[in-house]
Amino acid sequence: MEMDSRKAGDVLVVRLLVKRIDAATAMDFKGMMVDCINNGNLKIVLDLSAVDFVDSTGLGMIVATLKTLGSDGVMAICSPTEVVRSLFTLTRMNKLFDIVPTVEEAIAKVKG
Amino acid sequence: MKAMILAAGKGTRVRPLTYSVPKPMIPLIRKPVIESLIEHLKRYGIDEIVINTSHLAGSIENYLRDGDRFGVHIAYSFEGKMVNGVLVDEPLGSAGGIRKVQDFSGFFDDTFIVLCGDALIDLDIGRFLEFHRNNKALATIALKEVPRPEVSRYGVVQTDDNGRIVRFQEKPGIEEAVSTTVNTGVYLFEPEIIDLIPSGTEYDIAKDLFPLLIERGLPFCGASIPYQWVDIGSVADYWEATRLILTGKVDGYVVPGREIAAGVHAGIHLAANFGRITIVPPVYIGSGTRIGDDAVIIGPTVIGANCEIEGGATVRECIIGDYTRVRSVAEIERMIVFGEKCIEPTGRFLDIDEFEIGWIVDDVRKATELPASQRYLFELARELGH
Repeated sequence: MEMDSRKAGDVLVVRLLVKRIDAATAMDFKGMMVDCINNGNLKIVLDLSAVDFVDSTGLGMIVATLKTLGSDGVMAICSPTEVVRSLFTLTRMNKLFDIVPTVEEAIAKVKG
Repeated sequence: MKAMILAAGKGTRVRPLTYSVPKPMIPLIRKPVIESLIEHLKRYGIDEIVINTSHLAGSIENYLRDGDRFGVHIAYSFEGKMVNGVLVDEPLGSAGGIRKVQDFSGFFDDTFIVLCGDALIDLDIGRFLEFHRNNKALATIALKEVPRPEVSRYGVVQTDDNGRIVRFQEKPGIEEAVSTTVNTGVYLFEPEIIDLIPSGTEYDIAKDLFPLLIERGLPFCGASIPYQWVDIGSVADYWEATRLILTGKVDGYVVPGREIAAGVHAGIHLAANFGRITIVPPVYIGSGTRIGDDAVIIGPTVIGANCEIEGGATVRECIIGDYTRVRSVAEIERMIVFGEKCIEPTGRFLDIDEFEIGWIVDDVRKATELPASQRYLFELARELGH
């Protein structure tokens, strides 16, 4: 899965470069995120600005990433497209994540 | 007097509702808008009605049939053709549709009324006709004042002291609008006006015919008779109209069913233990619906017929279409569930199958078991809820 990642201090900012997180890409996504976590990144910002579709497998894997991060880690989502934001709201998965409009706000959130 | 109801539009501004029903058939608490219009015409003794159809024509034609049920006569003027067994829309525009009817049978032989099929009205048609005749008009529009920010959605009209229309601007910018008086899509026409409409081609009343009337200096008037006009021009309008009806703010609109508690109307054949359900009015619940214990329903909410609101679910300020299952983990708010889509009042929507959100809402006729990926989210939501 194509993604851009960069460090902002101790925060890892991951920008997905795919349009869809679905059954075809979700395992790949999870694998890469688990690698990031195993490399010691415990503060993660997930930039979903390019993603316009997430199915149940994709949503499950985003949640699973958060679970892998465990209680020591923190993850925020930024810049979701309107439809992805609607999905998070409808499914109440917005209760699990801080979802904010910009990368900067997300970085500030995970820095605490 | 005879009538024509314009019902051939695609309803693009009301998508996604109009993917599955044509705009005149959008139900306002069970009753399609066009049915209310027909009842209104009937009140004034207007019982010969032609409806032009195109997009999803069968939905209108199969519901209204020949009009007998409503005590009127209805004929349809279909605008399209059948290609390889499939109906293809070929709408002629509002004026083009009238011309087609006239070319076919010469139906319009006296002053006739034309209504858009997508707005509820309670206009005093008697007064409207009197105004039209007193002014010896060829065409008269029923006018309405709207707040200035809304003018760009409508045709804006400027009249002189005698009610004669001197300017007509179709959907102008807020700044350039010459007034805040708008065309409500209710017209009285003399049959001679049809001679100005070309045959067999797309021609619009507001964009083409009205400018021509002004250009030629023909007697074209606007009647400002106060009346209630509930336009369903967008998903937001539909949302608002339903809420207005539920809260009793649309005069004369009767919420169907029986009032089983203050502000709670319901159909028959319900499977619900109301002692175990929290309901905050105003709420309408359709016939044949099941509501599980510990469900929470907060109005203004409409729940359609044959739905299942599972125990534990929360439905807050929603319009739920027929045959919808709301799963126990759902907490849905300000949502329209219609035609297999979850639609926000803004019109933004999620397709239930495509986004695999059947674990929140789906069709009650589908199997209850969920695929593994949805089951995972369902269980997670259940944990979150506790």
